[in-house]
Amino acid sequence: MEGLDLLKKDWQKERNFPKITEHEIYTMIHKRSSSIVKWILVISVLEISFWIGLNFLLSDEKQKEMVNLYHLNIFMEITTVIHWAVLVVFVFLFYKNFRNISNISSTKSLMSSILNVRKIVQYYVWYNVIVTFLIFVAVWISMFFYDENLGKIFKKATDSGTEIGVWFGVGLSLIIMAFLICGFLWLFYRVIYGILLRRLYKNYKELEKIEL
Amino acid sequence: MEQKLELSFVQQIKEHQNLIHKVCRIYTSCGDDHNDLFQEITIQLWKAYPQFRGDSKFTTWAYRVALNTAITLFRKKKRDINTFEINDDIHKIDFEEYDFEEEEQLKIMYKAIHQLGDIEKALVFMYLEDKNYKEISETLGISEVNARVKMNRVKTKLKQIINP
Repeated sequence: MEGLDLLKKDWQKERNFPKITEHEIYTMIHKRSSSIVKWILVISVLEISFWIGLNFLLSDEKQKEMVNLYHLNIFMEITTVIHWAVLVVFVFLFYKNFRNISNISSTKSLMSSILNVRKIVQYYVWYNVIVTFLIFVAVWISMFFYDENLGKIFKKATDSGTEIGVWFGVGLSLIIMAFLICGFLWLFYRVIYGILLRRLYKNYKELEKIEL
Repeated sequence: MEQKLELSFVQQIKEHQNLIHKVCRIYTSCGDDHNDLFQEITIQLWKAYPQFRGDSKFTTWAYRVALNTAITLFRKKKRDINTFEINDDIHKIDFEEYDFEEEEQLKIMYKAIHQLGDIEKALVFMYLEDKNYKEISETLGISEVNARVKMNRVKTKLKQIINP
């Protein structure tokens, strides 16, 4: 008999699988799921909490003084309003998409709804990274105009003709900072989501390839 | 109400547990993984059970949830020893019918299935379960034509693994 036919014949026989009792089934349904959806939810909530926590941590008296000193009041007020508006929209989108994950939909839809939730969190993280970076840039620029100490350094540099060097140093430190933040996030995503979603991405790609 | 639902669910699982075992058989290669996957499928079925309206057969509905769990939702635990041994005692046939040559061939077939990708395993599973292409395409979310094409490719791949 040909391999596949033999396999099919064997498959359709009644097998001696271990019999799971009613009691065991009851116990099972009261256990917690360890599905990737649960893990994605946990990690996403941690990510959101991290950025919200960071906002609170950074908004202390010292920061208020700095904002006044550098005349960034309007800039900070606008970014705060945008920040909270984005957070509300994000939480709504996250909730809506998370509710869309259904284990009775087709395999492809299930995968795509999980990936959508991930995408939304990822957008939120990148939004935070960009805003944090922009705030740093705004603070740096304001420092040049309003920080007396820095003004003195620049005056000295201008007098001695090394102004370009100072600008270069500032630019370089900004670039290094941007790289460090991006590098850290990249590593974080590689490790966490690489482990969690590698298989899902692979299978999703395969389903997409079938449809090409 | 909840108790009534629980009772009817447990009865359904008890009656159709072979379906879950069969999915585990395709997707896992050691007893511990088999048990973990069985548990996760049962939990996922229970979570989705309130949405089961009874207008389709329980098995048809359960196939989808079970495959979704095996392909997408299940996270295999890391084990110290990576065993590739399948539970041979699980699929042994009655002694009178025992044919060593056939048994050897079947072992090779099952090993070959374990080398396939998750989507390919789903196709093999539905082929073995005699599902039609409409059901296969609806379960995976691909078109019927593509399901047919992919199924033929998987069968060829399986043959190539067995007879390289």
